[in-house]
Amino acid sequence: MNSLNTYLIISAFLFSLGLLGVLQRRNLIGMLISVELMLNAANLNFMAFNRFLTPDPVVGQIIALFVMGLAAAEAAIGLSIILALFRKMHSINIERAQKLKG
Amino acid sequence: MDTFSSVTPVLAQAAFWITVGFTVSGAAIAVFPRNILYNVLGLALALSGIAGLYLFLGSFFIALMQLLIYVGAVCIAIVFAIMLSRPLHLETPKRAIPKVALGLAASAVFFVASASVALRTEWVPAVERSTDWSVETIGHMLLTRYELVFEVISLVLLVAIIGAIVTAGFSRRLSS
Amino acid sequence: MDALPRDPVLLATVLGTSLPFLSMAVILIFTRANRQLSSRISVAAIGCSLASALFLLITLRAAPGAIQYQTEWFSSGNFNVAFGYYLDPLSLLMLTIVAVIAFLVQVYSLGYMAGDPGFSRYYAFQSLFAWAMMNMVIAGSLLQLFIFWELVGLASYLLIGFYYEKWSASQAGKKAFVMTRVGDVGFFLGIIILVIGFGNLGIPELNTAGASHSIPQQLITVSALLILCGVIGKSAQFPLLTWLPDAMEGQTPVSALLHSATMVAAGVYMFSRIFPFFSASPEAMTAALAIGTVTMILASTMAMVTYDIKQVWAYSTISQLGLMVMALAAGGYFAGVYHLTTHAGFKALLFLCSGIFIHSFHTNDMRIIGKEGGRRLTIPTVCMTIGALALAGVFPFSGFFSKEAILGVLAAQPGKIWLYAGLIGALLTAYYSFRLIFYIVLPQGGISASSDSGHHEPSHDEEHHGYIFWAMAVPVIILAGLTLILGLFFEHPLQGFISGMLGHGSASVLLVQHTTPEAHGIGHELLLALGVSAGLFGIALAWFEFGRKDSSRTGFLSCFPSIWRLFDLRWFMDIFFRKALDTAVYAGLTSLFTKNDRRIIDGAIDGICFFTEAGGRLFSFLQSGMLQYNLLVMALGAGVAILFFLV
Repeated sequence: MNSLNTYLIISAFLFSLGLLGVLQRRNLIGMLISVELMLNAANLNFMAFNRFLTPDPVVGQIIALFVMGLAAAEAAIGLSIILALFRKMHSINIERAQKLKG
Repeated sequence: MDTFSSVTPVLAQAAFWITVGFTVSGAAIAVFPRNILYNVLGLALALSGIAGLYLFLGSFFIALMQLLIYVGAVCIAIVFAIMLSRPLHLETPKRAIPKVALGLAASAVFFVASASVALRTEWVPAVERSTDWSVETIGHMLLTRYELVFEVISLVLLVAIIGAIVTAGFSRRLSS
Repeated sequence: MDALPRDPVLLATVLGTSLPFLSMAVILIFTRANRQLSSRISVAAIGCSLASALFLLITLRAAPGAIQYQTEWFSSGNFNVAFGYYLDPLSLLMLTIVAVIAFLVQVYSLGYMAGDPGFSRYYAFQSLFAWAMMNMVIAGSLLQLFIFWELVGLASYLLIGFYYEKWSASQAGKKAFVMTRVGDVGFFLGIIILVIGFGNLGIPELNTAGASHSIPQQLITVSALLILCGVIGKSAQFPLLTWLPDAMEGQTPVSALLHSATMVAAGVYMFSRIFPFFSASPEAMTAALAIGTVTMILASTMAMVTYDIKQVWAYSTISQLGLMVMALAAGGYFAGVYHLTTHAGFKALLFLCSGIFIHSFHTNDMRIIGKEGGRRLTIPTVCMTIGALALAGVFPFSGFFSKEAILGVLAAQPGKIWLYAGLIGALLTAYYSFRLIFYIVLPQGGISASSDSGHHEPSHDEEHHGYIFWAMAVPVIILAGLTLILGLFFEHPLQGFISGMLGHGSASVLLVQHTTPEAHGIGHELLLALGVSAGLFGIALAWFEFGRKDSSRTGFLSCFPSIWRLFDLRWFMDIFFRKALDTAVYAGLTSLFTKNDRRIIDGAIDGICFFTEAGGRLFSFLQSGMLQYNLLVMALGAGVAILFFLV
């Protein structure tokens, strides 16, 4: 169903959208959401390759599972960092986090 | 794939593109609005759409996992974070036009780059392809060939949990 | 090494020249606390050295040629540095001299240094000194010679500055070390030039090459002049002569050793060691002749005005060394070596006698010694007179014969100025040495009353007839005996012995010059008469001014205060050096180095720091604290890179 390229383009679009979010959102949670989007785009890529190219379709699914696990871990850590930062600076605006400015 | 074999190809195509539409619009909602709650909801929508795409890609199991982990867990965790950090009550600064423009340019360049990579590459499927998509095989493989990775992922999750507790919880105690 | 037990010569050489080092090590490491044991070890070691030196001398007296033991030390390309022993008449003779003098001085020191807190250390350094000197003497290559040459310098530095807690002593040690080092720089440069130009540092090779003129003439001249710098520094020749009088800060036995057989003799020895090489360069020989002459005259004049008994002998050493350099430079190989031998004997004698006086009267001033009854110490007085007669060149003492030989060589020189200078030197030498003798023996107004009442006589009597006195007196008597017989009976055997080496070598031509002085205008008898009369005239002058009953005891020089002052201040050489040091080193070099340090090195480091810091500041704008900009640049870069590689 549909070609590999369709999926790849969709995934690239999602990834770029996530990238745009990461680059221009000032809200840390917004950035985190964008990162999740990027991870999913990558995952979609894996699944597409798994569907169309690999000899063994199990492997791609397992990798997708691992990515999900990592994403969950990332979300947990990211959110806790955001919470700690919020407690320190009473803001989750990333442009306020400039203590290491040179 | 077997799930959709009875549906006519046109319907299937329509369903596919509708799913893609959901995904893309969910992603747009996740990125563009400045209200953080809309973003989360958009993310949930996009993730659900991706779960649908997984169905089209033939993996019922991963689609289920997607819904379970992402929509069910990650999005809820983000909602929790929003509630705890109360960003709704904070100022929402005006968009800085140059920053948005630069971000747009960069992501556009990246999109063009990755899309052209996808289009230009001659993708060659493997000669001999197995058709075994069953969950049993996945479970079997996870516990045999990929066991070490599996364990390491578990460890990473454990460390992440502990780390999250430490950064979020102990710092409160230390700072107060 | 398995040849060692089977070859008695090698065994004796190795044993004799390494035992003092062993004793030094043992003393410094194990027996410092036990003074008796330390001194016994040291004396025993040097005694063994003496025995083996004598054994070698007797065994090899008729050897057909030089004996050489050597092993390759290291090689670089086709340049080999050998390390080994080179035994020929010259080195055997010198080895014996060193061993005899070192042995006698160490025995003497048993008395002189008794009760000194640094007794063990003193003996360790003495052993080091003897070891370094003996190894220098039998070195087979110029590099090996240079190494031990520097060790000799080190040992003398240690001994001159022995009382390092005394400011003047440590200064004198430093002065000796630094001034000889100045010459050694030239020496080392000369060695380097030889390595580059000739590629071999073996002493026999050098001598053969010099005699057969197989080295380019310029190379010989340049390297010989540079090596001569080493001789100038070591043997206290003009202009580096002022360190030797200051070296009197060391104990008197050290001075005796330093002035007779070791430190200063090293320079003259090295000169004669590569004599054929030197004589291949007439320019270097002329330079050496001029330097020796200037040194001799200058040092003699300085000796005429000082009242310090040791300084008189120090100046006389310098002038005698000048005389030896003159003799060698004039081509008188045997005359120079012979005078080195006799001088070692009578100068050690003079110093050791002075040491007894100084030890008894606790002063260096000859007037006070004379007043306090110096002549009552019969043995040293007699022996010192013998030494002074030898120094003045009076028949039949050893100095007479060697001086005559030197004058003969000088007479053979084309210009008569060298001969006249030598005669003036002989006259002055006789004058100042008997000025000293008369001050001590015939003090003005007799011996002072305080000394007559003998407030410290009893203790002296005890001391002088006990162990301490005899430990000092016996070496003195032996040396006096040597001074008597060395000239009278040993001139011709020695001449045959020494000349044998040159005969086997290739420079026998050089000897002809001084053996036939008649051929050059002045008859031998006339020369003899001139030499003796110069000495006698000097003695008579000294008697007229200092010895006779109602003499003025001031010397004719006191009529010319400015000249007196000139002599007393060593021809302003010290002042000149101090000024030169202040202007050239402290104001010039040191300030340059300081500037180099401050401006260039510090500046460079500061500059590096500045640029690093400035660079850091410059690039710190990248750390804007705007995380998203960094990410943006990264994403943009990644995208552009992908596009770039894609197209």
